[in-house]
Amino acid sequence: MAAEPNGFWRRVLAIDRRWIFVLIGVGTALPLLFPVNLPVTPSPRVQAAYNAIEAVPEGSLVLMSLDYEPDIMAELQPMSIAVLRHCFRRHLKPIILTLYPAGPRLVEMALAIASEAEGKRNYDDYVFLGYKSGNQAVVLGLGENIKGLFPRDFYGAATDTISLMKRANSFADFPLLINLSGSTIADYYIRIGASRYHRPMILGATAVMATDYYPYLSSGQILGLIGGMKGAAEYERLMGIVGDGRRGMDAQSLVHLIVVILVLLGNAALFATGGLKRRVGGGA
Amino acid sequence: MRFGPLVVTFLTGTTLIAIFFIPHHAAQETQSVILEWADVVYTFALILGSIALWMSHQKKVFQRAEGWFYSAVTLVALTGVTALGVVQGVSGTTLVGQIYDSVNAPLASTMFSLLAFFIASAAFRAFRARNVEATLLLVTAIVMMIGRVSIGEFVWSGFPPLTEWLLDVPNLAAKRAVAIGVGLGAVSTALKIILGIDRSYLGRA
Amino acid sequence: MGETLDTRWFDPNRLNMLVGLLLFITFLAINIWRARRSPDGLYIRPIAGLKALDEAIGRATEMGRPVLFIPGIGDMSEVGTLAAITISSKVARRVAELGCDLRIPCYDPVVTALIDGTTREAYREANRADAFRPGCVYYVSATQFAYVASVTGTMMRDRPATNIYMGAFYAESLFLAETGNLTGAIQIAGCDQVTQLPFFVCSCDYTLLGEELYAASAYLGREPIQLATIAAQDWAKALAAGMIVLAIILSALGHPWLGRLLKTS
Repeated sequence: MAAEPNGFWRRVLAIDRRWIFVLIGVGTALPLLFPVNLPVTPSPRVQAAYNAIEAVPEGSLVLMSLDYEPDIMAELQPMSIAVLRHCFRRHLKPIILTLYPAGPRLVEMALAIASEAEGKRNYDDYVFLGYKSGNQAVVLGLGENIKGLFPRDFYGAATDTISLMKRANSFADFPLLINLSGSTIADYYIRIGASRYHRPMILGATAVMATDYYPYLSSGQILGLIGGMKGAAEYERLMGIVGDGRRGMDAQSLVHLIVVILVLLGNAALFATGGLKRRVGGGA
Repeated sequence: MRFGPLVVTFLTGTTLIAIFFIPHHAAQETQSVILEWADVVYTFALILGSIALWMSHQKKVFQRAEGWFYSAVTLVALTGVTALGVVQGVSGTTLVGQIYDSVNAPLASTMFSLLAFFIASAAFRAFRARNVEATLLLVTAIVMMIGRVSIGEFVWSGFPPLTEWLLDVPNLAAKRAVAIGVGLGAVSTALKIILGIDRSYLGRA
Repeated sequence: MGETLDTRWFDPNRLNMLVGLLLFITFLAINIWRARRSPDGLYIRPIAGLKALDEAIGRATEMGRPVLFIPGIGDMSEVGTLAAITISSKVARRVAELGCDLRIPCYDPVVTALIDGTTREAYREANRADAFRPGCVYYVSATQFAYVASVTGTMMRDRPATNIYMGAFYAESLFLAETGNLTGAIQIAGCDQVTQLPFFVCSCDYTLLGEELYAASAYLGREPIQLATIAAQDWAKALAAGMIVLAIILSALGHPWLGRLLKTS
């Protein structure tokens, strides 16, 4: 029996998507099991975020809002840990909150890792205020009366008895706002914290959402932008640490490469089977 | 005629627009109060939603409908976690904290990680050089995919600056254009609702 | 205390925005007047995705399979959600007329209550109140990926013939659209989140881009006053484009005052 012409390429075009899933699964797992530590070069946006923290005087308060849940923790948690460690190294005093109900546990985890690595302690070096519902209303409230919004911290201590909180009343008391967010909450901080109260601000977002905030960077409303796991890896590189961001970049590199090869194969198959000619001829 | 809701919508909408231009502290406090009201309404709606969720799954369990077992799991999880949270709190040392760490966090992360698989299969199907525009899209996608990861600079040092240019110039230009359209569309939609031109949210076309 | 209390009754930095808003309202008034004077005088260009809605609902009816309407994961503060509610009522009316099954899984409890109301009303308007099935509009979860799991599960189990995605979508867009693609459903999407549009374009048959979502209710309703709002929007867009070009030219000639005037605070 004669072989079907272009049989291989036709099979490529009709490939079961589960084979693609297998390739992606293997491509993700292998570099995590056998890391090669590919080089990471910080982008100007991440460098600018790093510089913004470097520019804050030692001992200053910084307001950190970590607004994400476990679904996107792979992208934002390494960022939180790296930024927290940077603040601790610079002897800054982060006041931390979250506007997501499932956020507090992630903040606790990030704080546990960062404070242990840099030898910092709750209440002496940082305060975790916990979760507050209301998104925009909370961000507005932060500009007026923080202790009114958070009469107690996450662990139940009255905020007006915490020494660090004595000088934390409103946005005006923070020389820097840091928002790491996977949602439109970042817009509230930009509109209210950065624009209305004129506070310097840096932002971290998922890779997909990061491009939404480029206009704010060029307009000067935010000073720096950390985008996705790559941004976290770049920040870790600036900090001289190896965290989940840098570890994840090997996997991300290989997966991108696999997708590129698949796309090229698909186009080669389309060309070989004449699909391209027919489509173009047919006015597709 | 649903006159009441239209009046409430008009007054709330115009008040919030006016407050946008009034920096007076009294106006800003009013805005905070209105937003807090919205939060309270949302909380009650959440209770309503939870009751509706309970009723729908309870019905499935009682009727032994297809997949009733999963509905039973939902009911047990809903009541169990709520009760534990109310009794013990939600910090890391509590049972809710442990459920969160060992069930919620891995499940949510797993769901999100599936995105990589879907993106790969969608890219394989969609990026085809069928005409000039599609070819441009294909080439840009390949440059971005290679240039945005560590392997890009390993292959060619020009990839990262090229991707930065793509993001900063063509991408930003297109985004701003769409954003201006979306912004004006949003103003138009908001005005339609505030002025009562569009009443479909009240159940009337 | 925090900052000193602001006692100003007007923010002069926002004067340009106030002027812009008043101009927009003027455009709206003029176009409503035009629409009332000559109801057939306003033209709206065809939107392929909306033209295909009828065909897609008809296909579901012929196949005896449900239509799945997904209103996104935005809350009532997002304009995309408001547009989704309007479109859902038009879809519900058409579904009621043709007599096929409709399912609307919701993410936000407030949106659930509103869509439930508008859907009932749409069935009543189509004189098919008896065909409305309580529970066809249902609340799933306000957790993003729990919602995704439930909706994709519905797609795989019930195999809807038509999936309509309208509203505010975020990371879940590709999950939903790819799963729908896998089941072979006709898919029509509309979204105002620029970052999610490419995902819908890849996986759906028709996609409404950005503001087309907001124009959908006017397009589907064909009421002259609704069309007038689209015309006003176009006038405002033309003015914005003209101002931007003029500001660029003036800046290049060393007169940056117009650019500064347009800058928002």
